[in-house]
Amino acid sequence: MKPIVIIGAGHAGLTLAREIRALDKAMPITIISQDPIQAYYKPNLSKALSMNKSADQLIMKQLRALKRDLDAELLENTPVFKISHEKKSILCQARDSENNKQETFELPYENLILATGANPIPLPIKGASGNVVSVNTLQDYSQFRKIIKDKKQILIIGAGFVGCEFASDLSSNGYQVDVVDRATWPLEKVVPEQMGTEIKHAISKDGVNWHFQSTVNEIVKDNQGKLSAHLSNGTIILSHVIISAVGLLPNIQLAKDTGLITDKGIVVDDYSRTSHYAIYALGDCVEYDGQSLPFIAPATLAAKSLAKTLTGNKTKLVLTPQPVGIKIANCPTLICPPHTKEGSWHVNGVDQDLEAAFFNNKKELCGFALSGEKISLKSEYLSQY
Amino acid sequence: MNNSKIWQCSTCDFVYSEAAGIPEENIHPGTAWQDVPEDWLCPDCAMGKEDFDMHEV
Repeated sequence: MKPIVIIGAGHAGLTLAREIRALDKAMPITIISQDPIQAYYKPNLSKALSMNKSADQLIMKQLRALKRDLDAELLENTPVFKISHEKKSILCQARDSENNKQETFELPYENLILATGANPIPLPIKGASGNVVSVNTLQDYSQFRKIIKDKKQILIIGAGFVGCEFASDLSSNGYQVDVVDRATWPLEKVVPEQMGTEIKHAISKDGVNWHFQSTVNEIVKDNQGKLSAHLSNGTIILSHVIISAVGLLPNIQLAKDTGLITDKGIVVDDYSRTSHYAIYALGDCVEYDGQSLPFIAPATLAAKSLAKTLTGNKTKLVLTPQPVGIKIANCPTLICPPHTKEGSWHVNGVDQDLEAAFFNNKKELCGFALSGEKISLKSEYLSQY
Repeated sequence: MNNSKIWQCSTCDFVYSEAAGIPEENIHPGTAWQDVPEDWLCPDCAMGKEDFDMHEV
């Protein structure tokens, strides 16, 4: 019997394998990843200093434990470079460490699942190459912690979910942080101005300098290795490390090369199936109704329903609205991002304790954001959908 | 309820107590772990039920 092959060992890929194994003890499963295979919770990467954890301490399960628990074949550090969907097989590259050669091998599949994740959006900034880091994997994070050791000043480009969490985590742990974003307030796409202003003040308590409505034009490195970022508003920011947190792009290259239908992400139907009958996709590489949802909950739900489908019980994926918590030291915030831009925010509350509801033009609730004490209203809001 | 158990999320340490349930999520006090819906996600970190470990009280 040919195995189910899962490309990618992030949360989506590993959760799918586990859900399949819970339903079927015998079905052969192979997980293949270009990175080392270790289970970790990616949202923790932007919180780990406050959690007092090193990169290694974020690992929940090592390869050996995963292999045992999933009863699966795990191939790490093995990129896949081609899918032959007529033959139902993939071509992979294994590194032979003994004589340091690349070896190509073919792996047949019964069903193929793309869980290839998303990559940081490259920054089209002069001087960015080699001087800007992105933290998108545990390996990136491990490297990042080495870089920031004994350093003081950090510049973050982007004030979205990841940028705000990093600003909070770094500044509350003794780093001097600057944040640049073209928006007018933090999390502009998902919270109204009043709440964004409160979040800005909360993070500022630990000493963050915000530079809104500006972009980085150029980055210059001096002889001592110190970086200066030249902003569009004329400001020059000095720092030791620059992080890019401007967002992710679904990793769709393999799907595109295979001729699968893609847009921003891999296009799937209600059963997580791509335009090819034996190839499925889930997690950050996918788009649902034209939107990518790079969060844990949609990937967990997709893994659960896809596992049922793959084990013979065809199950539609129902994506219920799932609020995302954002960890800001002085202002707990819960956000259910609006799924449309057409509409307006209605805000209630004072100071940090705010509830904000986003209604579309038909007066239907399309998203909400709660902060401070108002996060206790979560279930009330969810029941209004 | 006899033999009430506590389950803890291995990712974020959120605790589910069978005795208490989570009334605001319509999981009534006294709901056994096996009766919590399969598609229920940890309210704090969005991992699934499989991520919880049992702790006897």
